[in-house]
Amino acid sequence: MTTTMSNPAPAIEVENLCIRYGGVTAVENVSFIAAGGEQLTLLGPSGCGKTSTLRAVAGLETPTSGAIRIGGQTVYDNRAGVNVRTEQRGMSMVFQSYAIWPHMTVFENVAYGLRVRKHGGAALADKVRHALDLVKMGQYAGRNASALSGGQQQRVALARAVAFSPSVILFDEPLSNLDAKLRSEMRIELRELQRRLGVTSLYVTHDLEEALAMSDRVVVMRAGAVEQSGTPADIYDLPRTAFVADFVGSANLVSGDVVASDADRGTVAIRTKDGLVVHGVTHGRRVEQAGTISIRTVHLSLAAERPAGEVNVWPVQIMRSVFLGDVMQVHVLWGAQELVIRRIGAPLNIGGEAAFLHAPPERCALLEASG
Amino acid sequence: MLEPTTRRRVLKGGLAMAAMPVAGALLSDRLAAQGRPVTKVHDFNTAADIAKAEAEGEFTFYSHDSEPAIAGILDAFNKDFPKIKGKYVRAQNSTLFTRTIAERSANKFGADVIQFSEPATALDFQKRGGYSRYVSPQSEFYAPEHLSNPVGDYFWVGVTFVGLAYNTEKVKPEDAPKEWKDILKPVWANGANVKMSNSGMQFVQWYELRKLYGDKFWGEFAKLKPRGFDSRAQQFERLAKGDERICVLAEYAGYLLVKDKGAPVEFVAPADGLPASPLLCGVADRGSSPEAARLFIDWQMSPRGQNHQQTNPYLYYGSVRKDAPPMPGGKRLADYKLLSPTKEMDAFVASRDAFNKEWNAMLGL
Amino acid sequence: MATVVAMVAVLVLYPMYYLFQAALDVGLPDTRPPTAYGVANFAKLLDYPTVLWNTLVVTCAATLLALLFGFISAWILTRTNVPFRRTLDQLMTVPYYVTPLLGALAWSLLGAPESGFINQVWRKFFGTEALIDITSPMGIAWVMALFEGSVAYVMISAVMQSMDPALEEASAVMGGSRWRTMWRITLPLVAPGVLGAAIFVFAEMLGSFSVALVLGTPARFYVITTAIYHFVSQYPPRIALAAAMGASLFAVMFAMLWLYRWLTSRNSFVTVSGKAFRPRVMDMGPLRWVLFAVVALYVLASAALPVATLLFAALQKLAVAFPAASNFTLDHFRQAFSINAVRTAMLNSIMLAMVTATIGVIMTGLLSWIILRSRLPGRGVLEYLAMFPQAVPRIVFAFGMMWAWLVFPLPVYGTFWVLLIAYLTVFMPLGVRTISGVVLQLDKSLDECGQVCGASWWYRMRTITAPLLRPGLLAAWLLIFVASVRELGASILLMGPDSKVMTPAIVEAWFSSSSELTAAMALIQTVVITATMVVFGLFTRRLAQRAVSAP
Repeated sequence: MTTTMSNPAPAIEVENLCIRYGGVTAVENVSFIAAGGEQLTLLGPSGCGKTSTLRAVAGLETPTSGAIRIGGQTVYDNRAGVNVRTEQRGMSMVFQSYAIWPHMTVFENVAYGLRVRKHGGAALADKVRHALDLVKMGQYAGRNASALSGGQQQRVALARAVAFSPSVILFDEPLSNLDAKLRSEMRIELRELQRRLGVTSLYVTHDLEEALAMSDRVVVMRAGAVEQSGTPADIYDLPRTAFVADFVGSANLVSGDVVASDADRGTVAIRTKDGLVVHGVTHGRRVEQAGTISIRTVHLSLAAERPAGEVNVWPVQIMRSVFLGDVMQVHVLWGAQELVIRRIGAPLNIGGEAAFLHAPPERCALLEASG
Repeated sequence: MLEPTTRRRVLKGGLAMAAMPVAGALLSDRLAAQGRPVTKVHDFNTAADIAKAEAEGEFTFYSHDSEPAIAGILDAFNKDFPKIKGKYVRAQNSTLFTRTIAERSANKFGADVIQFSEPATALDFQKRGGYSRYVSPQSEFYAPEHLSNPVGDYFWVGVTFVGLAYNTEKVKPEDAPKEWKDILKPVWANGANVKMSNSGMQFVQWYELRKLYGDKFWGEFAKLKPRGFDSRAQQFERLAKGDERICVLAEYAGYLLVKDKGAPVEFVAPADGLPASPLLCGVADRGSSPEAARLFIDWQMSPRGQNHQQTNPYLYYGSVRKDAPPMPGGKRLADYKLLSPTKEMDAFVASRDAFNKEWNAMLGL
Repeated sequence: MATVVAMVAVLVLYPMYYLFQAALDVGLPDTRPPTAYGVANFAKLLDYPTVLWNTLVVTCAATLLALLFGFISAWILTRTNVPFRRTLDQLMTVPYYVTPLLGALAWSLLGAPESGFINQVWRKFFGTEALIDITSPMGIAWVMALFEGSVAYVMISAVMQSMDPALEEASAVMGGSRWRTMWRITLPLVAPGVLGAAIFVFAEMLGSFSVALVLGTPARFYVITTAIYHFVSQYPPRIALAAAMGASLFAVMFAMLWLYRWLTSRNSFVTVSGKAFRPRVMDMGPLRWVLFAVVALYVLASAALPVATLLFAALQKLAVAFPAASNFTLDHFRQAFSINAVRTAMLNSIMLAMVTATIGVIMTGLLSWIILRSRLPGRGVLEYLAMFPQAVPRIVFAFGMMWAWLVFPLPVYGTFWVLLIAYLTVFMPLGVRTISGVVLQLDKSLDECGQVCGASWWYRMRTITAPLLRPGLLAAWLLIFVASVRELGASILLMGPDSKVMTPAIVEAWFSSSSELTAAMALIQTVVITATMVVFGLFTRRLAQRAVSAP
């Protein structure tokens, strides 16, 4: 079941993909490469075009222009006039609604892809049982598929997807119909499975935690275009745009004119409209006359007294505190702007409303200049 | 009501429908010229090839009669010739004619034997070459005026005649109509039924009564808003149940049938005469079972067939065969004063359009 | 794809072409092709104002009555806690199977002004006037509504079930009384849907034929459809006039159905999310038994009463309301069985219906699939073509077919083939509508998953789509089977000596022999058809229960 070094799983290459329906553009010039054996996740809010992209890779949608290659083989290229039919692309897919066939048993559902490939007899039964064991649904093999719960159907869908040993699997928001607890469990299982099988996965979700937990690389999409692609850490620590900053984790955004910058050390300082100065890091990004800095809510801290010898310390006024269970969320007034702070653990030990806010400069990231 | 008639009256009055001049060779010569061997089957002579007819196995009979009537005839024939099955197409006279002509113009020839309910239609069909000439050995039992001219296209398989009928529960005997003129009384408004314009018998009645009482006669009748139907079965059923009070085109055959069922209906034979029409049956040209058709015609002309025509309750037609027994009830055709246009076929045929117009308008369409 | 569109276009448009050619023929009668074209025939329509007026009166009355029955029944069965709701809902479809012809025959026996049973009973106890006259316009409308109006019930209850109950709950929470909620919230919300149903039912009633034929003709009462029939059967036949009437009726029906489509495609304020809601059910208290009686009465009047009446009549020599013992006889049944035509016609009908249903299901199944699931160009055109016959009254369509196929080089006229072709064409909308409904409910991803697993189109059709569609396909088969057996308007013009079928044969018998014999024939037909359906139902239940174990 695992791919060997001599048969590495193929890469998925998407190049300048455009999908238009009538007057509506769903996907505009999207490009990415999912390397062999890795999981690449398309992350974004609904309507951002991630599902359309995935379906185009599967062949269930026909793009308007662009190219798609699997393991070097072109399956779609509008300039060369190539458009390989879905059933000949040799991939596998797990659907959001599971698409379990209600008129077949669990066994038959899983065996479908094998039967199409003309497997039969004992070998087929073996493979099916193996796949079912992988998802811990072995004892349900004879059950009628329509009698399963949501979570069970999802597992069967997974078993079906891996039964015929594909090298590429597409996932269309497979966990979104499960409740939160089940989701976090399945997340881990899916990741384990993917690693074990060594397949290349293209995964679509709108759930941030899912994307960060499971992926090797993440592509953040909005309104049909790619906002940023990179590893989960990159996306989280080094957001390129305001959208990514706010979508991937919660961030405070402060804008202002640039008052100082040092290219060698990669630092920058901006002054906001209220005259407050924030020091941050550029991460090699171009510095212009004005800029926006993103500070994660979990990187801000509050103290009753001014911490000594630090930059990025300001007096603030506490507006309200919200108890969220694992974290405490505090809203403060910083100049004329409201900032949000999240902290774990003990309640704030500050009597009254006045406090001091501190943001470590290395955690203040300059966003890419727009335009 | 019914006058006893002498033989002279018979010749003068009704049954002398000698409009068909007999010209040319004698019947026996024609039979010989046909070159067909004559064989005896059951108790009658036929010039049809029975073996071939049985090989054909079936034939199609186009007729104007009611379905039970036709079915009865074909069943009776089938009893005598079990290997030959008859199928049928039923439509009222003019509809039958139009449909058949339309089929033939499209080169489809579904009919083997065809029967019409009044002579103008048969003549028209003959003119269009619709019949296949076959001189039956049974022809010697029929007067020349009861055969086609020339012999062999069609023959008078029966005669039907009409009078008046009324419902005895709804109409007191003193109010009952006795003469044709009585149908114009306003009391019969919305209470009279006739047949539709595609009925041959209706055409004859219209013509004859118009001759007797003038062109305005039917216009007066139309004011009473009579109802028109497709078959005498319907007319008499409604009369029996009281849906109408009088039946103006009351076929004697229909009266007998419904009387059998115990209906409160009485028949009136007006003294001025009873419009009558022959029913004309012949072999159609280019059908797919010619021998079976010929055998069927012979059977119809034979005493067996004629007996069936007279005694089957759905038929009850009078036979013109020279040696036919009386009709049920002991009467013969000769006992009635019958009015028929067979002496003036040209005028009759020419009035068809006027009839259609007036009659359709009278019935609301 | 182009061949499919071409085939459907030929089936549907070939007769229409000949219809219009005949309507515009102002040249010599009896000559084909026409010698002159013009619109004079349409002007002749104005010579028959009574026919046009009659049609309008009867159609409007029948539509209103049908809507009334349908609305009340739908309300009672979806919004109240009437007992035995499920059973009643299933019984509401029975009038469809009883057929309007049977209903008309039975009600003719019941309500004829002189000889009707009801009137005889009334006269015996209460005097000399008749209680009802079934041959009057209201009488005809009553029978039409009873038997052809079951579609109103189906449509209105669908409308009732497409409304989100939360809308009414909000009213209740704000303090609105039950009646206020009904008047201010519910009725305005269902009004557009009911209006759509009204238009659809109106179009259907326009094309109604069998009831007006049986009840209206004896009373000199003609509507457009029966007028067409009589013009064609008259002597001489008035083909051009009949064609002009047919073309005009078609134009009106087409306009109405177009209006219906336009109305229902706009976003009405009823939230239609594609799911059927379970509407709020009102507790009617002891009143619910009254409601039960109302619905039960409707079912009885439309189903049980006609059959009982026919039986009562068929057993008498001359049917009356208070027969003497000597009036009873089995002769009519004996005769009905012995008439060759009955036996052959019945067998023909069943065989033809089976062939039509089988071919029809395959044909409309493929059409539905192409229209809904393929991405082939021209599928919009295909949908319009396939639904087109709905806008043509059956008898008008048959007229066009008769005129068209008479000149067709192949000897098709007068045989079963022309009937089969006619049935397949006029039932196309029925099949496409039914199967489309089932296809729409099928989750696309089930087929897409098969695609991704590598299965070819045919493999997927065989292993995934067809098994899942099977219940719907079987339902469509049954619908087409019943529709085929009860078909009158088209068959009556296209039947030949070798191709006699049951329903027109019954009508012909009614015109040419006694109503008792006709009643016997009609009863025999009902029994045989019901038996066939029961057998079929048992057979398919076994099929549907078997799970597919291996593709």
